[in-house]
Amino acid sequence: MIATLKRVLHWLTGFVLAAMFVLPLYWAVVASLRQPGLPPSPAIEWWPVAARWRNYAEIFEMVPLALYLRNSLVVVLFAVPLTLFTASWAGFALSQLPRPAQRRWLMASVVVLLVPSMSAWMFRYRILDWLGLLDTLGALIAPAAGASSPLFVLLYYWTCRRIPDEVYESARLDGANAWTIWQKIVSPLAWPTTAGVLVLAFLLYWSDFTSPVLYIYRPDLYTLPIGVQLLNQMDRTNFPLLMAGSVVMMLPAVVLFALTQRFFLHELSIGRLLEGE
Amino acid sequence: MCYHARMRFRLPALRSMPAYQRQVCLFLLPYALGTLVLTVLPALATLVIAFTRYQAVSPPTWAGLENLQRALRSPYIRTVLHNSFFFLALAVPLRLLGALLLALLLQRRGRLFGLYRAAIYLPTVIPEAAYALIWTWILNPLYGPLNLVLRGLGLPAPAWLAEPWSARLSIVILSLFQIGEGFVVLLTGLQNIPRSYYEAAAVDGASGWQAFFRITLPLLAPWLLLLVLRDLIVSLQNTFAPSFIMTYGGPGFATTFLPLLVYELAFDVVDLGLASATLVLAWALIGLTALGIWNILSGLRRQE
Repeated sequence: MIATLKRVLHWLTGFVLAAMFVLPLYWAVVASLRQPGLPPSPAIEWWPVAARWRNYAEIFEMVPLALYLRNSLVVVLFAVPLTLFTASWAGFALSQLPRPAQRRWLMASVVVLLVPSMSAWMFRYRILDWLGLLDTLGALIAPAAGASSPLFVLLYYWTCRRIPDEVYESARLDGANAWTIWQKIVSPLAWPTTAGVLVLAFLLYWSDFTSPVLYIYRPDLYTLPIGVQLLNQMDRTNFPLLMAGSVVMMLPAVVLFALTQRFFLHELSIGRLLEGE
Repeated sequence: MCYHARMRFRLPALRSMPAYQRQVCLFLLPYALGTLVLTVLPALATLVIAFTRYQAVSPPTWAGLENLQRALRSPYIRTVLHNSFFFLALAVPLRLLGALLLALLLQRRGRLFGLYRAAIYLPTVIPEAAYALIWTWILNPLYGPLNLVLRGLGLPAPAWLAEPWSARLSIVILSLFQIGEGFVVLLTGLQNIPRSYYEAAAVDGASGWQAFFRITLPLLAPWLLLLVLRDLIVSLQNTFAPSFIMTYGGPGFATTFLPLLVYELAFDVVDLGLASATLVLAWALIGLTALGIWNILSGLRRQE
């Protein structure tokens, strides 16, 4: 009896906590469907009263959100696949180096992971300028050429280390070179990691607010996060439209997360650094 | 000089390598080069430029400790450092504690708890611009949902973003809901503790609290350490979007934290020397803090 009560209490606590984390997002969705300019409601609205879907069309008329959406999609379409190639190449290569070299690269990767990105802002600006990438979408895509984050490389490294050495050795005895091994063995076996890194990389580039603020000046190259900020600057109190913009931004992130949340809850964690892998 | 010497040393070594190893090095090249050019070199340049006068129009000239002194003397920079440490002192322990409590409460197996865990992670994946705007709505003093709830419960309803103290607190509060990473790391940590330890403790008649302080906490220490180190960096970095979008550092300078200051100094004022010196100063202070925490936590581990 007491055991059952404890269990129910545990479920309820879990439910309340989970609700606390989802509620802010839900409130944003409800607020996005409100009639703009209506007097504010004195009590919480748990459900949109007269759902006004036109808010979503209106934000595309107020600022060129379609253009910004296109720019965001271009960035993601180039940066995400590029990241998948460079990160999986590097992770696979790391797993094939002699042990001492492996350790050195791992250490270096962890140190880079701890470098706060704001310390790189100023001179990344200069370097992007030298490379002729400043004020182009290339400035936003460039990190993908270097695997985007050492974390992605580490994730692929752990996956490649799990493949038994004999598999690599027998392939090499059959005369396979590194490219063939990557293509025929690593890529098919590492697909869960690829799915996870794909989502993480998508979130990284889709959400990126800082890079366009720092490196993009031409209004026709703005991405979605900047577009939403423009809406905010135009009218800071028009919450229905601001929330509609926010929902447009977060919807793809939420959907992708829902599809792949299994990976997030174990496979994609930096905690694996300490699992002796 | 040294760099060139090493190049000459390395190249023949590369040639004498087996073909397979050479191909493997080629696979590493994009990652190594990309990280070097876009992260490592810029970060190192900051370290050097901190000791020069550099405003981007003419080449940098050596200035010694001048910038550090200017940073320490400027009331504005001191306020921002103060704000940043206030944020870290509040956000890092609370984020860690929150992640630990949630991991302990929601570690149970089962579909329902899996769903709860996913719900806890969800705010972490929300794009930062959208997340900041959502919280401007939640925290609206007059008709934002949070104050409606508080008033409904008969609790005081602060003006949140409109007043310095509550604004600073607001940025901490919204950071407390993006703790998915730490939550998952600690879940992994908990899973790695062998069940037999708890069984042995139960046989010895240890209470739940004793088991927590003698087994769980010491064995989680390495995970906690990893999280503290990462959070000291990441959580401060992540204040950029909220303070840029929600308050632009205001009211007054109450929510100007290190990233926004660096942005202003480097991209508005274009005083790269001062911006770099401020960064160096802040990281030295944060590094010392991290070292102190390292010592405390490794002491905790030795107790085990």
